Amino acid sequence: MMAMFEHLGLGLSVAFTLQNIFFCFIGCLIGTLVGVLPGVGPVATISILLPVTLSLDPTGALIMLAGIYYGAQYGGSTTAILVNIPGEATAVVTAIDGHEMAKKGQAGLALGLAAIGSFIAGTFATIVIAALAMPMTKLGLLFGPAEYFSLMIMGLVLAVVLAHGSLVKALAMIVAGVLLSCVGADMETGRERMTFGLQMLTDGIEFVVLAMGVFGFGEIFKNLADPEKRDVMRGTIGRLLPTLKELRQNLGAILRGTGLGSILGVLPGNGAILAPFASYALEKRISDRPQDFGKGVPQAVSGPESANNAGAQTSFIPLLTLGLPPNAVMALMVGAMMIQGIVPGPQVIQNNPDLFWGLVASMWIGNLMLVVINLPLIGVWVKLLKVPYRLLFPAIVAFCCIGLFSISNDAGQVIMAGILGLLGFALYKLQFEAAPLALGFVLGRLLEEKLRQALIISDGSMTTFLTSPLSAVLLMIGLVALIIAVLPSMRKSRDEIFTD
Amino acid sequence: MTQEVIHVDLPARPPTPPASPPSYPWLGRERLAGLSLVVFGLFGLWAGSDLPFQGEGGVGSGLLPRALSIMIILLGLMQIAVTWNDRAETTGSWPIRDMLPVLIGVFLFAITIRGYDFGAFSVPVLGMAVATPLSIIFSGIAAKDVRYGELLIFAAILTVVCIALFRYALGLSLAVAPWLIGY
Repeated sequence: MMAMFEHLGLGLSVAFTLQNIFFCFIGCLIGTLVGVLPGVGPVATISILLPVTLSLDPTGALIMLAGIYYGAQYGGSTTAILVNIPGEATAVVTAIDGHEMAKKGQAGLALGLAAIGSFIAGTFATIVIAALAMPMTKLGLLFGPAEYFSLMIMGLVLAVVLAHGSLVKALAMIVAGVLLSCVGADMETGRERMTFGLQMLTDGIEFVVLAMGVFGFGEIFKNLADPEKRDVMRGTIGRLLPTLKELRQNLGAILRGTGLGSILGVLPGNGAILAPFASYALEKRISDRPQDFGKGVPQAVSGPESANNAGAQTSFIPLLTLGLPPNAVMALMVGAMMIQGIVPGPQVIQNNPDLFWGLVASMWIGNLMLVVINLPLIGVWVKLLKVPYRLLFPAIVAFCCIGLFSISNDAGQVIMAGILGLLGFALYKLQFEAAPLALGFVLGRLLEEKLRQALIISDGSMTTFLTSPLSAVLLMIGLVALIIAVLPSMRKSRDEIFTD
Repeated sequence: MTQEVIHVDLPARPPTPPASPPSYPWLGRERLAGLSLVVFGLFGLWAGSDLPFQGEGGVGSGLLPRALSIMIILLGLMQIAVTWNDRAETTGSWPIRDMLPVLIGVFLFAITIRGYDFGAFSVPVLGMAVATPLSIIFSGIAAKDVRYGELLIFAAILTVVCIALFRYALGLSLAVAPWLIGY
């Protein structure tokens, strides 16, 4: 316990340098900006900025990128409440009751509760990360290739179970992602795989290119084909700060959401995305008046928003302690760390304690900044929402092109991302989720590497994954999760959570 | 407590009418999705058909691609089977023509930023000063409510911002306008 506070103290001393506070602020500001603007998300933004971080100091770079991620979660709720468009995918839930509140003239209250809830959640999640860091790291050090392989399989299964919509489609997307990651030179033999002799495929598909193509260009194509329906929001925002009574009424929802989000976020396989849905379902179940949900209940905003933010933050845990990215943004963080010569995994906490604890502490500072950035400056963000899409998306195209080109000064990457954008559009049209594809892609290379290592150690015997107790347990958890998800009764309640 | 009053007046778009079902059941969204998976899996099998299944020390470079391709085909067949009796839903319009300008913009950016040799003719290195506005203007044309004057001014301003931001503030080694200022 004492060690945890010592660590946080070290972190705060790193994060409170002028330079790092500056990076944190820039990150939060950019994050809020892209969160507020529909059609550009943290994945595309971090992808664009990745080449830029090369010239920064590692701690500052990671603090900034992390700020973009959780800043976007804050900003997304603003758009959800005011325009009924989830600025970020995770703000879908907030849009339901948040926008209804806005129609009733309580937009300010919804924004205020979302911000305060997110701050409480962020503070709690920071402590959770600090507390779990050492035990998780110790666990990570016990992992050999076989255990890592099983852990990734479990993570991917959980990602399927937690994904929206059809299980078959989510599973297919993950497998397709792993298959795409096989393209390029085989890391052991150097043999070219599925490159069709194309030079731009020799080194494989860069994750940044895939992310910008599917999430950046794909989103633009989607919006051009089916323009988002914008709800009118006329009138005043109203009082931003809730009264003590309103705060007391929402405290339960905020704390429950924080707890749910913190737990789900730690799960490998992007549990964080489920957090706001789970919180909404929980609040509805325990409410005295569940029939009011969907008509502007404050608890339906504060709870899911807290869950969302807590989950976003605790999803750093698998990345920082085990080196396993649970979602696309975390995969980009892996890229950012690799650029700086830091290999993500359990050794980071020992080799770079400044970076690790500085990053964790900066999240709390960032959350504090976000309350300041979001609430008093809400008028600025509202003005920003008036930027018409016809100007917004050409700017995104230009930024993406520059970002893509500067990855390796290769124009081929720009064209490849354009083609992947068409793939992203096709996925959207056929209602495939892109998130599991990205996750499968990210884990694909690591998966194959660990599979091969494990099989070399075991002399080619597949039983190695079952004879190691840790690995067997992980595979069992994955199997059980899959079976539960396929059971008809669970399917029904799962669908209920998502359709609520 | 101070009353913060901010007036909001944001644009609204009319809701789109519900789409009619597809003319042919195989064009229904779910079945088409399964079909695409099968095709993608077959393509993967073909693409990886030259890779050795067995390598030194167990796993060859062909094992995983082939196993995954087969899994995708099976999942595709499963998707078709599971949704066989569902009412076919349309995938909506595929307005590729509306997206074409964006793709052209991206392509033009790619060939002008560093130049490109097509064999028959070659594009010189035109740098950001040309590539950026080209990408903005061409993609801007894709918008249904495009206003040309506005777009041109916007492109000019944004190009200056991009050059200042990426080249000077962030220090990326991007050519600005070699034909004009030499770098």
